[in-house]
Amino acid sequence: MKNDKKVFILIEAILAVVFLIVAAFMLFDRADDRIQKISVVLQDSDSSQWSALKYGLEMAAADYDAELFVVSTGGSLTVEEEEALLEKEIDNGANGIIVQPVAGEGTEEMLEKIGRKVPVMQVESAVTTDDETSALPVARPDHYEMGAALADELLKDFNGSLEGKTLGIVANSKDTSAFQDKEEGFMDGIAQAGGEVRWTVNDYSGQEEELALPAYPEVDIIIALDDRCLIQAGEAAANKNLYGAVVYGIGNSMEAFYYLDYGSVECLIVPDEFNVGYESVRGLIQKLQHPFRRVSVRSLSYSVVRKETLFSADNQNILFTMTQ
Amino acid sequence: MAAFSLISIFIMLAMGFVMYNQFLFVTREENVQNTQKLIEQTGKSLEDYLVSMRQISDTAYYNAIKESDFSRENPDIQVKLNLLYEANKDKLRSIALYNNYGSLMMAEPVANQKENVDVTSQSWFEQAMNKKENMHFSTPHIQNLFDDGTQHYYWVISLSRAVEITTSGVVQTGVLLVDMDFSSISWMMKQINDSQNGQYYYLCDSSGEIIYHPRQIQISEGIYKENAVVNGGYEEGVYDEIFDGGRRKVVVDTISYTGWKLIGVIPYESSFTHGMINIQYFVVLLMLLTFMMIVVVNRIVSVRISRPIMKLNDSVKEYEAGEKPEIYIGGSLEIRHLGYSIQKSYEQIDTLMKEIVIEQNERRKSELDALQSQINPHFLYNALDSIIWMIEGERNDEASFMISQLAKLFRISLSKGRTVITVREELQHARSYMNIQKIRYKNTFSVDFQVDPSIEDCCTVKLILQPILENAINYGVSSMDDCGEIIVSGKRDNGNIILAVEDNGLGMSEEEAALVLTDSNRVHKKGSGVGLVNVNNRIKILFGKEYGLTVESEPDEGTRVSICIPEVPYTEENRKKLEEGNIFSIEDTGEIKRQGDSHEK
Repeated sequence: MKNDKKVFILIEAILAVVFLIVAAFMLFDRADDRIQKISVVLQDSDSSQWSALKYGLEMAAADYDAELFVVSTGGSLTVEEEEALLEKEIDNGANGIIVQPVAGEGTEEMLEKIGRKVPVMQVESAVTTDDETSALPVARPDHYEMGAALADELLKDFNGSLEGKTLGIVANSKDTSAFQDKEEGFMDGIAQAGGEVRWTVNDYSGQEEELALPAYPEVDIIIALDDRCLIQAGEAAANKNLYGAVVYGIGNSMEAFYYLDYGSVECLIVPDEFNVGYESVRGLIQKLQHPFRRVSVRSLSYSVVRKETLFSADNQNILFTMTQ
Repeated sequence: MAAFSLISIFIMLAMGFVMYNQFLFVTREENVQNTQKLIEQTGKSLEDYLVSMRQISDTAYYNAIKESDFSRENPDIQVKLNLLYEANKDKLRSIALYNNYGSLMMAEPVANQKENVDVTSQSWFEQAMNKKENMHFSTPHIQNLFDDGTQHYYWVISLSRAVEITTSGVVQTGVLLVDMDFSSISWMMKQINDSQNGQYYYLCDSSGEIIYHPRQIQISEGIYKENAVVNGGYEEGVYDEIFDGGRRKVVVDTISYTGWKLIGVIPYESSFTHGMINIQYFVVLLMLLTFMMIVVVNRIVSVRISRPIMKLNDSVKEYEAGEKPEIYIGGSLEIRHLGYSIQKSYEQIDTLMKEIVIEQNERRKSELDALQSQINPHFLYNALDSIIWMIEGERNDEASFMISQLAKLFRISLSKGRTVITVREELQHARSYMNIQKIRYKNTFSVDFQVDPSIEDCCTVKLILQPILENAINYGVSSMDDCGEIIVSGKRDNGNIILAVEDNGLGMSEEEAALVLTDSNRVHKKGSGVGLVNVNNRIKILFGKEYGLTVESEPDEGTRVSICIPEVPYTEENRKKLEEGNIFSIEDTGEIKRQGDSHEK
């Protein structure tokens, strides 16, 4: 009888423990369904160049059940401003951060500091020098390849030789690895083609106080290595202020497409910003779900768009991402 | 009980399984029905929208273009088109009219046509010119016609038709293009694509070209796959299919006028199981709780059944242990009946036991009486023979002495019918007997009584010394000439009384001495025939098996017969107890002795 009682209590205890475990699993599963909050900090976030990237972010957030918040930034940020924004987002409950790192000293330390609090994903460019081992993964277009592709397209138009031609290179992000890679890719691409790079403006922001592009010495070809400079160059070309210089560039805004469509830009290299945005969220979600797993560095593709192919199905899709 | 538990668990598992599957089935059916309804409603809205576009196209054509001559009424046509555009501009991107060479004749809103645009190569123009009798809806595309200066590109669905344009009385074919803003359709589709359970809706034409898909870009980027080509070929209905490794239900509705397919996709894995995880947990928890309840109920039932049995068992055990508890009667009818039966059995056993004890006592008493009665005739014969012999020899004094001794002997023998007498009376009896025998044997032997006086007030069975003395005389000293000696001794030894009869007669061998107390069938050569076996049995019957006679003998040395009896003080109470058959154990004798002492005091 006493043994029976012991067996009874044992069975009930085991069942109660199993009950509690299942109940805990049920609650855990619900907790697991918790929507991850992701904050995105982009410089000049309202710029049309981010349309495709934002759409990619949005789509990935929908696919991965994440809540996305793109912080509104008026223009370029300093390291301190960016840090303050990121801290604020963390205080507001962000589970992960997607950030376009600002150019400048101390960014890497700042991001590493933030990365110790919540997972951080760099987007567009990286501040870390050794990407493969960095604890701060990055989703970005392959800037070097884009620079090289731009050089390639340029050479196609000039039968492989730039002999006797003068070039002006313009960009607005001198310290970022993105600019360096693009410039390096382009320079490597035209290294054997002759031609003279008459000037390189690497901190061109297009602000009124700056010297306008037409004020720079006359060149035959203007290479714009980012969207903002490309729009400036396209506008100047549309206004016929570039003394007949042809514009080649890298851009990812509807305006860039417009100037290509309008004939002010000869060739446009378009980074796959949708995928950059999509992959950054996917990478961050991966990092949130598996904190100890290293997220690989993602270099994404680009498209070469010319006026003739502007309305091809693929390019319409690129435009579609920019119109959303 | 184990079988009951197993059956209960099996039924519970089966019920859980059936319940879960039934719930899953109902949920699926409901989900499919809801999807069908939603698709029908959305399809109707889309059709309404497309009908309104057709109506705009019809209005533009029949009210403004067909009946007018462009050479004369161009401004009027423009006004009409403008009014039409303004009335529907929330849905429209533009209304444009092209001649058969692809030249723009009129457009609303008025905008610059882009340079170098060849509309004749655009699909909407080609379709309109190829099938002039039809209206043609294009798939969504970027409008590549006008430059409104906003540096913006618009997604439109083009509704194109061939029209007759009259210019200066000459009728020529042209194309009327109504570009609908895709955002209206996109908005409608987004409204129904807000599900979080993996279910989604998309729109494609009959060839599978996607018009709207919530993951349109993911599909074009290769991140996601869609079975649009197959789904576009489906008729209206519900289909089960396996695509990209996943099973799913596809609900298809066809949009009139366009042949477009509105498709709802319900993946089995996510949609049907969304929220079912909790149901699964719930079913498991429910089963666990039920199992716990079954165990508790089992326990209660088993305790309810077993407890009365256990109590009954306990009371039976107590009974077996010698206690006299009430037999437990409780629990169910059967257990109560069992209890009653056992109780009744024990009562009967008690009654029978008492009857057996009474019978045994009576039998013992009758045996004792029979044994005692064996003595009397033998001795009487002997004594009377001696008296006769004396009277015949005219030894009257001796005869008188003999008769007086015989009288004493018989008085003690009778002892008012008592079996237990004092040691003193027994010794007196022995003396009387020996006096008679000495006369009979002419004093050929001597008798010496060496008895501790303090034992004389103890109990003994009467007539135990006389047969021993008789044997001592007959087998010991009778054949000796004047040198026979019999010593009767009595002493206390470890709470017992030892009475001994010792003679210096012929004695016997060890084997023969052993047979004296065991072989009751021995033929007595001499004496009364009442052997030592008789005496031994009487002592054992009355005092217990640990008491009795001991025979020690050496041939030609003599024989010593010792009587061991408990030291029981002679009181009326002790006498009665002994006579009633209450055998005293060795431990009891001390207590009885003390009681006796206190009585004496």
